[in-house]
Amino acid sequence: MKGEASPAVELIKVSKSFDAVQAVRELSLTIRQGELLTLLGPSGCGKTTLLNMLAGFEVPSAGSIVIGGRDVTAVPPYRRNTGMVFQNYALFPHMNVFDNVAFGLRMRKMAKFEMARAVGHALEMVKLEGLASRRIRQLSGGQQQRVALARAIVIEPKVLLLDEPLSALDRNLRGAMQVELRELHERTGLTTLFVTHDQEEALGLSDRIVVMSRGEIQQVATPLELYRLPANGFVASFIGEINRLPPARCRTEGNDVVFEIAGGIVLRARKRNQPTIGAGQETHLFVRPEHLTLVEGDRPAPNRVSCRVTAHLYQGAYTLTRVDAGPLGNLQLRVLGGEVIAAAPIGSQIKISIDLDKAVILAG
Amino acid sequence: MIASARWRAAPARPRPFFLWLFLPSLAAALLFVAALCEVAQYAFRVFTPGSLEAGGFTLENFARLARPIYLSVLADTLLISLATALFTLLLSYPVAYAMVRAKSDFVRSLIMLLAVTPLFTGEIVRTYAWILVLGSNGFVNSVLKAAGLVNAPLTMLYTRFGVIVALVQFSMPVMIIILAAALAHVDRNCERAAANLGAGPAKVFRHVTLPLTLPGIVSGTVVIFAWTMSAFSTPQLVGGGKVLMISNLVYLQGLSSFNFPFAAVLSLLALAVAIGALGSMRPFVSRLERKAAVN
Repeated sequence: MKGEASPAVELIKVSKSFDAVQAVRELSLTIRQGELLTLLGPSGCGKTTLLNMLAGFEVPSAGSIVIGGRDVTAVPPYRRNTGMVFQNYALFPHMNVFDNVAFGLRMRKMAKFEMARAVGHALEMVKLEGLASRRIRQLSGGQQQRVALARAIVIEPKVLLLDEPLSALDRNLRGAMQVELRELHERTGLTTLFVTHDQEEALGLSDRIVVMSRGEIQQVATPLELYRLPANGFVASFIGEINRLPPARCRTEGNDVVFEIAGGIVLRARKRNQPTIGAGQETHLFVRPEHLTLVEGDRPAPNRVSCRVTAHLYQGAYTLTRVDAGPLGNLQLRVLGGEVIAAAPIGSQIKISIDLDKAVILAG
Repeated sequence: MIASARWRAAPARPRPFFLWLFLPSLAAALLFVAALCEVAQYAFRVFTPGSLEAGGFTLENFARLARPIYLSVLADTLLISLATALFTLLLSYPVAYAMVRAKSDFVRSLIMLLAVTPLFTGEIVRTYAWILVLGSNGFVNSVLKAAGLVNAPLTMLYTRFGVIVALVQFSMPVMIIILAAALAHVDRNCERAAANLGAGPAKVFRHVTLPLTLPGIVSGTVVIFAWTMSAFSTPQLVGGGKVLMISNLVYLQGLSSFNFPFAAVLSLLALAVAIGALGSMRPFVSRLERKAAVN
């Protein structure tokens, strides 16, 4: 995208409390020019409060907010030039599509012919050409969503704020809208802050993801980094499925790291460039279900573990198989296809291999 | 009554309780129509002074309506009703707004309590209170005199002004409730969206809040207008015979002169005006709604 000289948005040690509840704590964050940044977190983590503070609907208890180089901490919403898409769209029911989209331009006193062109262009961007004179009530949920988007992008905001805009759509439409949102972002180049609690949306759409919990940032990273290298246990278990193994004591042995787990289980991984893992230290191991594999017969495999099948969850393209691995606790495997259901029936003893080279290893 | 075009008829469904709900309303309607017919038949009969019995058929009673004295009472009634409805609207909107938008529950309950309590004191009690407040030695004049603002007391009692003041206070609780219901239905996010798009507080109100509460505004105004059209005791007591509204005229004709036929004509006239006002409101509302939508 554009140069990184000046950030589009800067939050500097922003805090917000409601009565006794602290919704956001000393949070600092920089949004780069033209990027699509996602705020991801469980409900109540402070992401919506953060969004409302950016739009100016909430005033921070402490800290400052800078948008486009201007400190807007005390600036009212109508002088901030942010474009917000609300979860319930909040379209004006007493106006038609054109007047909804033109509202922001009217407030900016744009000339009539120029306005008609800008509105037409925005409607084209969201693929709603020809619906300008429709009443809001005559539109489907997906169409209303597009009007809300058009209304927000037509004012060319400094930052586009999306508050869980896809959560009200049904599943199929949501997937299609994700692709369209991404395309729209590429075409407009608008700096976008997307708020969601849906990790799939976040992974699929974002340039970078901010994972929040209890009013604090847990990690800021690209989707790939976030999935592969979560910074802590919260992020590891919040993003995707993951198996948490019991605490292990580690030591180095040649080119390997050896993990000793209570119950006499020893697992090995290749030594990696991670300074936090030192000899004798207690570590936490997190393994994705796709890094656990079934071992057929006595074929040699790293980190073989015996376990008993307790459940199969068929998902179409793959099956989630739950096993009881004794001292390692209950684990979940992701096995391609559905053959495993017949090959390893519930109650049968199987052997699995744990690929620790791709595991997340966090110091205790 | 004020249904706008956006409220479509519900699709036909079996309505199991329809008959049971329909019968009582039918009975009430029949009784009302019967009473109305009884009044109406008087309108076409000859008045014999000094007798309670009405005579044979005549249209004389209707011709009498054209006399300037009666037309001026009708004009007064319309004027007072319209003024009452408008002032009630202007005074009630801020109260309803404050009530619905109050941040603390305590403030909301307090406003609600203060706004609605007058409903539970009788009309006569409230009207007497106004006589005390508006009289020559009443509260308002005492305050003005004490403050040195006036030398002689202002005449407020027995004037149209006094009647309107009392009627407005009388009507406000109902208007506040109607407006509060309309305001509570406005999606706050719509107002936030408008602010986000660059509208300051005044423009948010003008372009979003006001048009979205328009149905409530119109139904409130119509209800108060029609209600005031039939006001009796307030103009009777605060007006003291100097301010005549249709109901007072009906009372004078019917129970002082015992001219039942002409009283019946006046009653029918009042009914016709009220129904006409309600009926003409509907096209007016839809035009207003469309107009508010565009700009």
